[in-house]
Amino acid sequence: MKWMLFSPEIFYLLAALCFLLLSMTGRLHRRRDHHIALALAVAGVAVCVASLQLEGSLFSETYKIDLFSQVFKLLLSVGLALVVGICSELRGIQERYEHEVYLLLFPCTLATMLLVSSIHWLGVYVSLELSSYSLYILVALRKDWTQGIEAGLKYFLVGVFASAMMLFGMVILYGTTGTLDVKQLAQILPGLMSHAAVVVGLLLALSGFFFKLAVFPFHFWAADVYQGAAHQIAAYIATVSKVAAIAVLVRMVAMLGGSSDYFVHVLAVLSVVSMTVGNLAAIAQKDLKRLLAYSTVAHAGYVLIGILSMNPGGYAGAIFYAMAILVMKFTVFLVLVKVAWDGTNLEVDGLAGLHRRSPLLAMALMVALFSLAGLPPTVGFTGKFLIFTAAMERGHFALVLIAMINVVISLYYYLLMLRAAYLLEPQEQCSPLSLSAPIKLLAGALVVVMVAAGIFPRYLMDLARNAAQGLM
Amino acid sequence: MAVPWVSDLTLLAAILATLLPLCSFLVVMLFTRSHPRISAGLSIGAMSVSLLCALFLLNEHWHMEKPLEYAGRWLVSGSIEIPFGFLLDPVSLLMLAVVAVIGFLIQIYSLGYMAGDPGISRYYAFMSLFLWAMMSLVVAPTLFQLYIFWELVGLSSYLLIGFWYEKFSASQAGKKAFIMTRAGDVAMFLGMLLILLHLGNLSILEIDSPALAARMSPRLLTLSALLIFGGIIGKSAQFPLMTWLPDAMQGPTPVSALLHSSTMVAAGVYLFERLFPFFFFSPDAMTFGLFIGTLSMLLASTMALVTRDIKEIWAYSTISQLGYMIMGLDAGAFFSGAFHLTTHAAFKALLFLCSGVLIHTFETNDIYELGRKGGRSLKVPMACCCIAAGALAGLPPLSGFFSKGLILEGLADLSNPVWLIAALFGAFLTAYYAFRPIFIILFPREASGEPEVHSATSTSKDHSAGHSSSHYWLMGWPLILLAGATLCLGFLKAPLEHFMGQTALPGVKGIGHPVWLLYTEIILAVGGVGLAWMEFGRRCAQQVGFVEKIPALHRLFAERWYLDHFYGWFVDRVIDRGVSALFTQNDHRVIDGSIDGISRGTVETGRLISHMHLGMVQYRLLAMFVVMVLLAFYFFF
Repeated sequence: MKWMLFSPEIFYLLAALCFLLLSMTGRLHRRRDHHIALALAVAGVAVCVASLQLEGSLFSETYKIDLFSQVFKLLLSVGLALVVGICSELRGIQERYEHEVYLLLFPCTLATMLLVSSIHWLGVYVSLELSSYSLYILVALRKDWTQGIEAGLKYFLVGVFASAMMLFGMVILYGTTGTLDVKQLAQILPGLMSHAAVVVGLLLALSGFFFKLAVFPFHFWAADVYQGAAHQIAAYIATVSKVAAIAVLVRMVAMLGGSSDYFVHVLAVLSVVSMTVGNLAAIAQKDLKRLLAYSTVAHAGYVLIGILSMNPGGYAGAIFYAMAILVMKFTVFLVLVKVAWDGTNLEVDGLAGLHRRSPLLAMALMVALFSLAGLPPTVGFTGKFLIFTAAMERGHFALVLIAMINVVISLYYYLLMLRAAYLLEPQEQCSPLSLSAPIKLLAGALVVVMVAAGIFPRYLMDLARNAAQGLM
Repeated sequence: MAVPWVSDLTLLAAILATLLPLCSFLVVMLFTRSHPRISAGLSIGAMSVSLLCALFLLNEHWHMEKPLEYAGRWLVSGSIEIPFGFLLDPVSLLMLAVVAVIGFLIQIYSLGYMAGDPGISRYYAFMSLFLWAMMSLVVAPTLFQLYIFWELVGLSSYLLIGFWYEKFSASQAGKKAFIMTRAGDVAMFLGMLLILLHLGNLSILEIDSPALAARMSPRLLTLSALLIFGGIIGKSAQFPLMTWLPDAMQGPTPVSALLHSSTMVAAGVYLFERLFPFFFFSPDAMTFGLFIGTLSMLLASTMALVTRDIKEIWAYSTISQLGYMIMGLDAGAFFSGAFHLTTHAAFKALLFLCSGVLIHTFETNDIYELGRKGGRSLKVPMACCCIAAGALAGLPPLSGFFSKGLILEGLADLSNPVWLIAALFGAFLTAYYAFRPIFIILFPREASGEPEVHSATSTSKDHSAGHSSSHYWLMGWPLILLAGATLCLGFLKAPLEHFMGQTALPGVKGIGHPVWLLYTEIILAVGGVGLAWMEFGRRCAQQVGFVEKIPALHRLFAERWYLDHFYGWFVDRVIDRGVSALFTQNDHRVIDGSIDGISRGTVETGRLISHMHLGMVQYRLLAMFVVMVLLAFYFFF
């Protein structure tokens, strides 16, 4: 019954085919499609939960199923379900392409799932490209096509460039070691870490993941793409795509980068520059999605701290942080989608009067922002605490200091958003936002999760730690 | 655990005391937002039960031999274990009682102060949240738990001040308060991590035990003590992070009272008390703390000499009194700091609440204005205000006299006399600035204001009568009780000292009692009050302070030693204009350019613009490449 190991992937493939058929039927049934997508996404979560304990390998040992990959598959499926949950009105997408949204979202999720399980560079490369290609198109489907095309093109160019670098790195790796199998590389590499070609090859090969995670210097696309894409698509990029990138980066660094000072230094430089650039650029932003894009860059920097600590605590911290990012970022995007219900872009000041229009959304936004800013007792604080503790254990005192200063800087623009939501009076009278009961429930549940996971993180932490243990 | 039910009852009381305010917060926020009366009743009811529990705990454990600790597992990460629970010892029990008493009285007072306000439910909800955070902070057994509530205290005070008054929030001050205290918290967090890595846990009892000193090298110990002291500086508004506190004065007065007496800013000093033995192991950190405390005390006193806003005067006095506490603690006199914290809580709350009645009635913060409008007609608040100011000034036999005397004795034990001299000078200034507003309000000068006084008095009477006198008395009773506490607390010195001294703290010195110090203290306090009387109280006085006669000095003090200007300049120049401007410019060029271009619409310009865009992308791709090459090159160095 080996195919059982592959069941989540098979499920998402079938779901994607289902939408392929639906898109051929011609007429658009918005509600029907949404309901089917939601049902399939939730069923996907169930499949991932059911396959959480599976272990094994497929495709002549190039595809590994362990707790690490299954936890991340669960996260990815949850992320997809959440994003599909806010897709009930796709006003930001051109009408005639609305069919294609689900058709592309499901294969993209499938690709990210393949990504977290692949332990062969070719598999990694193919699944990375598959997930990126879906996203390039999704970004370009924006209703205001000039915006969409521009963003899609920028995304595409930067992405292609990054994957070219990645391929180049893989070629060098193959040329020097004669294999692209990560497990074999893990045995060969420690002896070759002083070999320039190997190290440079590995660094270049990682650039594909840096691109996905929007780490400096591959962050240039983030602001434009977030701004240009429809809100739901931006939410998908900010959550699911990021989680997958963290997963694959953690796995690769854990298996290949160990015990190399050079990689620690490189990652530290990238992390510091990402945080600083992200936070300072975010201060200057007026557009909400651009601001979120830069905050994502900063968060990528925090995650890198956990990864470069190269100890179990650091990896567990990064995994925990991936879960936190998923929830926090999604909550902000939920608010964004509901406030900018007509699909247009929203300025930060456009949040004005939110606490009157919808107290629930305002509270969700507040908790999410405090969590992003790392205030206790939210999940964002616990995540940062785990990462910083791991880094301190390895003696990266200066790095933690810089990160903490960055956290304070970030507080500034999070408070700007909060100030808009709670304190600014809207310029014209805005009617209260009407939310459907499931959305209300979802917002409430997200708030509870963010606080509860901050106060009682034990279960999630154990999960993250067990997942990280399988890596070493 | 010899008598199980006793400890169980203790645990129950501790849980009740700390959790009830949280429950009332949740219930009010979720269910009773539209019923102000029920909300207020709920949170006052919850608070009174907490108060009873706190007093019960204090009474029950009046003779405790060793600290009680209850802990459950919360977070385990590798070799690091962080429990949560309660730590009950004299330090926390006393503070718990103080917070409960002051919080309870202020909630009663708020019934009168906030009457008729549309957002009263939200106010009581946030008040409950605030008190919950503070009480949980007080009983926290680990530094980690303390830190969580430490942030929550900051957060809820931000909510309480900022969300309430549009005036405040519209300004930058709310963010300033929050970010400045956070800056201190960064240091504290780092210090905490340092301790965690060396000790493996963050239990306060273990940090306070000599075992830690044995495990960490003296330099690391000093470093972590200094880092944690950074958090105290931020929270207790000490130099150089002091300027947020006076700005945070715009919130409702009861909130200020709570903020200044027993919660927010007191949390800093409380942390110092909590970790006193830990700080004691590091003489360098102690000296540094002494320096910071002294500097803040003197700077804030001078600022209080010139301001005309009554709440600002008391805000500065808070900074300087907190400076005194830190001085006392740093001098090694543990009890003096703890005792001054207790007495200060009572008389500072009293000062703010009295000012609150004045401000509520006359709707102005300016002391001259208050005097002109007839502040002296409100007999009860003015009398209480005089008592509190007397305590602040250190006049015998009020509580402030005893506690300040203890601090001075502690300082006198130090070999370096500079600190004592500074403290004595500060005591003189304190007496002066405490009585300056009192005399100005009691003896209004301007003759032209005479008819106005009458009208103001009569309107105020109408006002209070129309407002129903029950409100006035709702505000009055807490004042009288607090005034009573201010009068009596001083005489509880001996029992309290016995209580605090029970669980022997390492390294606390015996305190000598030089008699001349007592007389000097009295003479200076009376001298300060006398000078204030000469300049403001006397019939033919000009009501111009000696500082105001020297314009340069006056400007310096009124501008807060230009500290704000410096910060403003720094933030403006370095962050806003320097770095952010670069990004903004980038945005203008790229984004606005693109939108302008697209709006022109024709194919030709479109092509041109997109060409320019591709150009921008090229540069970005080049940047990516260059960075990767540089990183690759780094390998060869």
